[in-house]
Amino acid sequence: MIIDTNVQPHFRYNAEIRRHLPAAHKLRSIPDVEQQWYQAPGGNYRQDLYGEHYPGSDPETVARHLFDDAKVDYAVLNPLTRGNIADYLLNSRICAAVNDWLLDRWLEPDSSNRFRGTIRVNPEDPKGAVAEIERLAAHPKLVQVGVPMQSREPYGKPMFEPIWEAAAAHRLPVAVHINGGNGVDYPPTFAGHADTYPGYAAFMPLNYFVHMATLIIEGVFGRHPDLRFVFADGGYDILTPLMWRLDTFWLSMRDQTPWVDRYPSDYLPAHVRFCSSAFDGPTDPGQMQRWMEFSGKAELLMYGSGYPHWSTSLPEEAAGGLDSAQRDNVLWRNAGELYGLAAPAEGSIR
Amino acid sequence: MKLVDVGKFGVGVYNVGGSLHAIVNYCSHEGAPLCEGLIGGTNETAPDEPGGLRRVKDGQIVRCPWHNWEFDVTTGQNLADPKRRVRTYDVDVDDGKVYLTA
Amino acid sequence: MTTIERVDPHTQHDEIAVAIVDTDVHPMPVSTDVLKSYAPPEWVDKIWPTGNAVTPVPHFYDTPDSYKTNSMRVDAAPPGGGFAGTDPDYAAKQLLLDAGVSIATLEPMCDAQLPQAEHVLKATYNDWLADVWLDRNNAHGRWRGSISVSAQVPDLAAREVERWAGHPYMAQVLMTPQTRGIPFGNPHFDPLYAAASANGLPVATHLMGQTPFELIPLYPVGNPAHWHDFFASWPLLYVSHLMSLVFDGAFDRHPDLRVVFVEGGFTWAMPVMWRMDRIWEARRADLPHVRRRPSDYVREHVRFTTQPLEDADVKQFREYLEMMDLGDNLMFSTDYPHWSYDAPTYAINRFPAAQRERIMRGNATALYGLPSTVKALPGERPAVDVSFE
Repeated sequence: MIIDTNVQPHFRYNAEIRRHLPAAHKLRSIPDVEQQWYQAPGGNYRQDLYGEHYPGSDPETVARHLFDDAKVDYAVLNPLTRGNIADYLLNSRICAAVNDWLLDRWLEPDSSNRFRGTIRVNPEDPKGAVAEIERLAAHPKLVQVGVPMQSREPYGKPMFEPIWEAAAAHRLPVAVHINGGNGVDYPPTFAGHADTYPGYAAFMPLNYFVHMATLIIEGVFGRHPDLRFVFADGGYDILTPLMWRLDTFWLSMRDQTPWVDRYPSDYLPAHVRFCSSAFDGPTDPGQMQRWMEFSGKAELLMYGSGYPHWSTSLPEEAAGGLDSAQRDNVLWRNAGELYGLAAPAEGSIR
Repeated sequence: MKLVDVGKFGVGVYNVGGSLHAIVNYCSHEGAPLCEGLIGGTNETAPDEPGGLRRVKDGQIVRCPWHNWEFDVTTGQNLADPKRRVRTYDVDVDDGKVYLTA
Repeated sequence: MTTIERVDPHTQHDEIAVAIVDTDVHPMPVSTDVLKSYAPPEWVDKIWPTGNAVTPVPHFYDTPDSYKTNSMRVDAAPPGGGFAGTDPDYAAKQLLLDAGVSIATLEPMCDAQLPQAEHVLKATYNDWLADVWLDRNNAHGRWRGSISVSAQVPDLAAREVERWAGHPYMAQVLMTPQTRGIPFGNPHFDPLYAAASANGLPVATHLMGQTPFELIPLYPVGNPAHWHDFFASWPLLYVSHLMSLVFDGAFDRHPDLRVVFVEGGFTWAMPVMWRMDRIWEARRADLPHVRRRPSDYVREHVRFTTQPLEDADVKQFREYLEMMDLGDNLMFSTDYPHWSYDAPTYAINRFPAAQRERIMRGNATALYGLPSTVKALPGERPAVDVSFE
């Protein structure tokens, strides 16, 4: 079995979302699809996908590329939303419109039952986010909640906790992905803006660590045993050095945050997962197996193609260099356990 | 705290609420002179208290003078990770003399 | 097992072998009045206001019990009084004699809000350091210094570098990494890099103060509330600067530049090198000015100091360092007299045997042009030979 945990479906054209906006918001201006501060020169998507349809916008094409060509059994769709918008209430309506569109165009018509989806919510509107989770959590094809990487505050801070509580109550993991649909885009690196696209692309996913560290140190994971976060842009190679640091200084800092009652890295197996990316992993494939044992990454990592991004990776690329148990973990076992997905009845376990 | 020049690193003797306790003057992390650290209490989680913290074990916790690791002088155990303990000694007082037993 | 062979302690030896180089030590002026005496008179009231105006002490994040410890080793306060790190003799006793350090690089920490004031403050520290630590209390020749410069005014910084270049004990340039949104690879810093490179001086960077506004940079996803998670993620500032140095072509513009990342960890370098290499391979057309593989730049141009060492399982840690293969790029440091000090005895055994000599001594000796012997201190038990195996 192969589970692809990171696919971004797209609208066919900018105005398509308006079908799903409520009447009160239909005359609002909203950013276009693909409001990226840092676009990849030459286009964000695989070159071969530009043409008849906007990349990733046609369910049949996407299904053929994933299920037929790449031999994927299930694909988790995590749509992007639109740019920065100051009005957090409007942002939440856009998230809801995207969710309704996802159901309408991708999930309901999928008789093969292989697409799964994400409930996109806006963390700047905690009440609205909780309401959206409550509205859609029961849908069997919506397997996670989705929020942007970008934020004014790291996700361990208290204003967000009601959202995570609602997600955990419905046993829905929370996927964090570089996105729009939020109110802010601070400079993407700790040292300011990047002057090049590679400078941006290399660093941006690493910001997950701050979200994750605060979820641990603020006690959010401690208070919500069923809460799981998925960091969907990869970046997990820096997990080992930075968790070593977080563990080392726990012995010094414990009395400031005594609700952290175990080594911070002890929270990872129950609470954290990652999607793979094309930029992760040792450049020497011979180091891959041993590398995956550091910080227990073989239990945390799930294959994610990133389709239709220019860096889309195939299952064999994500599994390169792994031993057979690690390979199974990454290609289906970890995602199967997280999302409750079993091998399709008429499919075969590869 | 009274630092006694015995053994390789010395031993610190503490009076905690009238009873005597002794620990080695050597932190199990990087070998700092543990007993030169500040003695005080520690904090525990208290969700109903302001700030979520409560002060406990006053006079019982020594913090390593370097990385501030917390050790309970009555048990020698590190508060965060009890496996990171330091050696303790039995303390007896007889006829005005203090006896340490390894 | 690392051994240092000892000779007869009763014989006073003049010269001893350099065994351990410490690349991060923090001296402080014994009082503000002493520091002020090195400043241009017209700047004294501007930098250290008196009367109704004050110089407040900032604490954005606080270390354990720092109201008592002041973020220092509790056992490092000089017996004669004063703050830890203010007494060169006591520092020599604790660091050189007791801990066995042969040569130490001194790195004062200071910053100021406004560019001109910061430039003057840094120059004042340089004059103080050169006088008190590198001259009057350096008969043993075992202290090295840093030329502090303001990152806000690279042209003035370059002039300050020129002022001190050639000084027998100034070993490097030192600037903050808290550069208010301008990453290290930006051409803004070119005048400084040119001056440093031309004079064979590495450019070191070390966290400076927690003074207000943007000096603690706003993280891309907001700031943690506690020192604990702040400190664990802080290396990402160095990661950002390193990626900029590489991708913005600073090493191509300055082929002789050497950069030292101090007290920001180093184990992150391995995954970051992989990441940069992968993206460079995939996007070479976006980076015509980057002529070499990113990891090659790191190996040639970058050094990392080792403190604070992560307390991971030692076998795993050594295995990680062997995989990383940056034995030529790491330099031991203690961070004396700060609280998160690493003892040389602890550190030595954390490293793979084959890398120990380079990390504890060889790399810093090569980078800073250090001698192989130094004068012994009275009462010092000298090492005739040092084995790091």
